[in-house]
Amino acid sequence: MTIIDSHTHIDEAPTYGWFDPPETIIRLLDEAEIEQAIVMTYRDAPGPEERVIEYIAEAIQRYPGRLIGYARMNPKYGDEAIRLFDRSIREYGFKGLKLHPVSYVMHPASDATLDLIRHAASLKAPTLFHCGDEEFTLPLQIAEAAQAVPDATIILGHMGGYFHVRDAIRVAKRLPNLILETSAMPYPRMIKETVDQLGAHRLLFASDGPGCDPLLEVEKVKRAGLTPEEEHLIFEGNIARILGEVGK
Amino acid sequence: MRTSTKLSLVDAHAHIGESLFGHRQTTDELLSIMDAEDIERAIVMPLKPISYHFAPENDRIADAVTSHPKRLAGFVRVAPWQRDASTRELLRGLDELKLIGLYLHPFEEQFAANEELIFPLLEVLRDRSLPLMLAGGYPGFSHPSQIGDLARQFPDVTIIATHGGQLNISGMLLADAGRMLRSNPNVIMETSGIYREDFIEDTVAELGPERVLFGSNAPYMDQGFEASRIRYAHLEDDAKRLMGRENAIRICGLPSS
Repeated sequence: MTIIDSHTHIDEAPTYGWFDPPETIIRLLDEAEIEQAIVMTYRDAPGPEERVIEYIAEAIQRYPGRLIGYARMNPKYGDEAIRLFDRSIREYGFKGLKLHPVSYVMHPASDATLDLIRHAASLKAPTLFHCGDEEFTLPLQIAEAAQAVPDATIILGHMGGYFHVRDAIRVAKRLPNLILETSAMPYPRMIKETVDQLGAHRLLFASDGPGCDPLLEVEKVKRAGLTPEEEHLIFEGNIARILGEVGK
Repeated sequence: MRTSTKLSLVDAHAHIGESLFGHRQTTDELLSIMDAEDIERAIVMPLKPISYHFAPENDRIADAVTSHPKRLAGFVRVAPWQRDASTRELLRGLDELKLIGLYLHPFEEQFAANEELIFPLLEVLRDRSLPLMLAGGYPGFSHPSQIGDLARQFPDVTIIATHGGQLNISGMLLADAGRMLRSNPNVIMETSGIYREDFIEDTVAELGPERVLFGSNAPYMDQGFEASRIRYAHLEDDAKRLMGRENAIRICGLPSS
């Protein structure tokens, strides 16, 4: 079975003490027999640090067919952020937008964020939100963005974390442009519940590696008691379908 | 380096009973999963029952341990806002039921981990050299800094902080949990549901495998999946044996085989 990991990190930021070069995630992907991974930085762009987008661009060029790029952006930069994101898709071949509102402290349905999400949607690129248990990342908050931009595909990374998985399922029931994503969330049974309530076409496998272990994250989905067809959609089919549309 | 994944484990944190919050597990169901997942023994403790009364649940734990003395050991659970009655229930659990430690859940029982309310319970544990397992990482109730504040005041009590003392999927509590563990050598990190695997590996590298303990928090969490956190860790087998088995035997005073 082919596996695509929809959420991993690479970055080297000595200022922050972060050092996860592409080789770290590649080694873990090899161990878990994962063919491809979507990579993103820990840092936002634009920002005080230079060459954040370029860092991803160089990595996906170094590992073609293995790494897929998302641009992690700070919407507060307005038009500058939109222009840089646009270039990441058109020039560097990135496939999506990553937003982590904790790192730039802004509501996920703020005007500047919606402008960026709208631009991603115009390119048919998905938006992956960090979606956990703290302010600005809750499923109900991100749902406001999904409702405001119904043609955007919005992915709830971590599917609500420890305490908000049921909220993630609730909002996805009423908003068809929301997709849940499995990384780090610790309950195999909630993967099964998501499939039962939303269908397997609404869920993506991801690891949040290298901090989380991709091999363990694969096992979590395999312990959920799904059919081979459902597993295929979650491990590969859904994300391949979403990324196949980007730029068309 | 990822070493052997075949290790016999002792689960230091499992529950039996029926929870107010919808989870349930019988002794037979737990033993069946343990057999399937190669988990030789478990320390069991009550779920918060629909009745809100822990005494019958502590009796249930004692009955399970009596029925399966080679597979199970048990911790007492009490509700600290019952004040003196909670201390009496702890003493009953230790003296009459022969349970071997105390489990406290600050979030479900609504008290802060460093609340003076629980000091009489800690004094019993200190006097008898018994461990406390504390449900860790609940915002407002068992933040790593609150666990650390308790641990600092009871340096002779071993405190097992579940989930590594932090439940935050963006990693915003990793630094706090690390500071708490470094400052308080009497705190042990339990691994259920933990964010992230590199937190386990980094803690072993910095503080040693003696400070990390396998627990599953079953049935709320998945016992077999939680066991894989230990078995798959990028650590030497000796470290995994300590985390997965030997630390529980030493800290909780279990028979060695």
